[in-house]
Amino acid sequence: MGRLFNGTAHMIRGLALIDPPLRGPLPLAGEGDIGRPSNIFEGRIYRGDDVAMTSFLRRLPRSALASIGVLAALALLAVVGPWLSPYAPEHPDWNALSAAPSLAHAHWLGTDAIGRDTFVRALYGLRLSLLLGFGATAIALAIGLSYGASAGYLGGRSERLMMRGLDVLSALPFLLIVILLLTLFDRSLPLLLIAIGGYVWIDLARVVRAEAARLRDQPFVLAARAAGASTAQILRWHIVPNLLGLALVYASLLASQAILVESFLGFLGLSIDEPSAGLGTLLQEGTQELDSAPWTLLVPAILLVATLACFQQLGDALRDGLDVRGAETERGSGALAPTEPAAKPPPVSA
Amino acid sequence: MNLTPFPMLGVGDMRVSVAGTGTNLLGPLDLDLAAGECLAVVGESGAGKSLATLALLGLLPASLHASGSLRIDGRAIALGSREHIALRGRTIAWVPQDALAALHPLRSIGAQLRETLRHAGVARTTIDADALALLDRVELPAAQDLLARYPHELSGGQRQRVCIALALATRSRCLLADEPTSALDPRVGRDILTLLDSLRRDLGLALLLVSHDLPLVATIAQRVLVLHKGLCVETGATAQVFAAPAAPYTRELLAAERLPTAAHAQAGALLLSARDLAVRYPHAQRDALAPTTIDLHRGECLALLGESGSGKSTLARAVLRLLRTPTRGRIALDGIDIGAHGARALRPLRRRIGVVFQDPHASLDPHMSIARIIAEPLRIHAIGDAMQQRARATELLRIVGLDPDTSGGACLDRYPHQFSGGQCQRIAIARALATDPELLVCDEAVSALDARSRAAILQLLARLKTERGLALLFITHDVDAARALADRIAVMHDGAIVETGSASDVLSAPHHPYTRALLAARPPALLATG
Repeated sequence: MGRLFNGTAHMIRGLALIDPPLRGPLPLAGEGDIGRPSNIFEGRIYRGDDVAMTSFLRRLPRSALASIGVLAALALLAVVGPWLSPYAPEHPDWNALSAAPSLAHAHWLGTDAIGRDTFVRALYGLRLSLLLGFGATAIALAIGLSYGASAGYLGGRSERLMMRGLDVLSALPFLLIVILLLTLFDRSLPLLLIAIGGYVWIDLARVVRAEAARLRDQPFVLAARAAGASTAQILRWHIVPNLLGLALVYASLLASQAILVESFLGFLGLSIDEPSAGLGTLLQEGTQELDSAPWTLLVPAILLVATLACFQQLGDALRDGLDVRGAETERGSGALAPTEPAAKPPPVSA
Repeated sequence: MNLTPFPMLGVGDMRVSVAGTGTNLLGPLDLDLAAGECLAVVGESGAGKSLATLALLGLLPASLHASGSLRIDGRAIALGSREHIALRGRTIAWVPQDALAALHPLRSIGAQLRETLRHAGVARTTIDADALALLDRVELPAAQDLLARYPHELSGGQRQRVCIALALATRSRCLLADEPTSALDPRVGRDILTLLDSLRRDLGLALLLVSHDLPLVATIAQRVLVLHKGLCVETGATAQVFAAPAAPYTRELLAAERLPTAAHAQAGALLLSARDLAVRYPHAQRDALAPTTIDLHRGECLALLGESGSGKSTLARAVLRLLRTPTRGRIALDGIDIGAHGARALRPLRRRIGVVFQDPHASLDPHMSIARIIAEPLRIHAIGDAMQQRARATELLRIVGLDPDTSGGACLDRYPHQFSGGQCQRIAIARALATDPELLVCDEAVSALDARSRAAILQLLARLKTERGLALLFITHDVDAARALADRIAVMHDGAIVETGSASDVLSAPHHPYTRALLAARPPALLATG
């Protein structure tokens, strides 16, 4: 009968992104070799195995590693890049209006109609977009994780109320409200962060709630309740740590969404005020100079596409690697899915 | 149906290893199986039983590699080859452990049977008659009606019978049954085994029965193969292996099956009393727990004995106040009415009650180190500082029989997945004891364990009972575990206690017919050896 629960236990272990430190196997103290259920059957990563973080990275598909690499390079470029050029992003160079990209002068990627350096401006735009992407995701993660975890764990009437609240929120024309906010108040970075973060957390909360509701009835949570733990203690010690893996995977998908929303607002002219500009604002400007200086459109466009593609790829790879959602469907359809775990494979030596 | 016996299935030099690293997990293993014979492969979990089954079916995951040869009908076939895969579902069929997971949840029993029959080449015109004949063969009643039903509408035993019918539908001559009864209640499991045995005899099937339950397989297997750490340690005729085991490991396994009878202790003062405790889940037609009264004294073990669905776990959770559904009746711990307290007022009282659940791995938060797990109740009740809590955790590990300094590395800083099931259960007991409770509630605490771990945990619980005067509320479906630990036994059936009395009275002279049925379901081999 206990076997019935192993699947769930595996699922929970599977959700962990951060593994405990790797240590060798524990010699058994006279109880025989009763191997812990092994995870090799499902052929994917579980924390149940002695998987160190390094080994976890090694098992990620190459595309994910490449995405991480490209993202790191882009972030580095966004931070360091502008220093390489002698120009400031918002200062016009009246001697070079709509200059074409060339290595002959210091405007490597050309200038726009009023002589601002495309290279520097695009990197500043990328910096802003990445900052917003990470910032808004962090906000969404904080709100979505706490809201979803509480709703899922509490259950009953509070859960129903909280979920109906989410339904109402997602029914609102959110972009309209964001636009309203941005026109009513000064368009500052914090406001933009909150507006975007407040827009993308809803789906995260839904995903997290479903998992939290499953964790609620796990024996280790029951044991904590039986020992007298308060709701806050259980959420902090058990529910949230076990949801973190799932939430982080989902967050990497949110990051691309947040960047896209920012670009969209920027394209509408609703992002941060000039002279600072996100990639979306640059795209909007670029479209106006499509005939005279197409590079002002192409450079930010390439950067935006590269960033979005990397985040999306990373999110997909993490989801597959950690198998957050797929496990259940696969188990359900596989009529011949093995039900009794096999011998424990020798642990990976440190 | 035309099912002719076939000469023999043989496996030579079967090995399973991890692809890439080449680490050997199983074998080399040789086994032979004659038509009309039942060979039981027994061993504890992790011994490689299921690996062997999967390798025989050619269903190993891609991360594992099987090698060896299969002899079937005088042909030699390499394991994992195309010819081997072609045997699956034609010559070799599989009976799963968890029938609910193995059946398609969205298709009716009839649709699933017909699909398999078509696969076996049965003509469309006779397919319905064949499906009905199969259901009749596995002794399912009202077969016509059953064809239209879905897996979730059947009981566990009926589902397992459907799975056997599906295996028969392939007209395979060799059945591989992987723990076919371990997800079932003992009474139902015995019926399933009887069915498998009659099929073997009547149809001349070769039956490979994989199980961790030695006494159970002894009832139907002609030969037995004992597997330990991926190697065969002993094989031979069942009666011979059980009567005179040659390998030390087999002797250990058999010894663990013979549980001692509890030494009865003098009960102390009344500790827990539940009066007319009843539970009805929302939208349910009737009580999950009919008004029930139990008393538990200090230093005494009361076993709640019953099958799944009998309400014993509901009773335990009602006593622990862990149900989200309100309960009726009164619960008093040491004279304090805990039923009346709100969740917050209840918290200090929870120090006095410990709880141990069934699944040892699921009971421990995978993210926490052992030190944090054991000290959790101390942190909850803010007892001592970090250093003292750690010292207490070390002390508790010793109490439950784990060496805190194993292999030079601190056991406390390891994580649950690095421990075996038995060790995890000891850790769960250590956590339950952290606040020095007076009452320990064990909800099927030994049911998920291997025989040897079960014996060891029962011994530990008995020791704790006598040494610390703990009162134990021991919930189990396992008659032998109850005998080994309980001073008194309450037999539960359909949400009510049908019989209660001292352990020796209930077990030796049961009054209620249900108790008698429960006792009769135990494998006779156990009675012979025990």
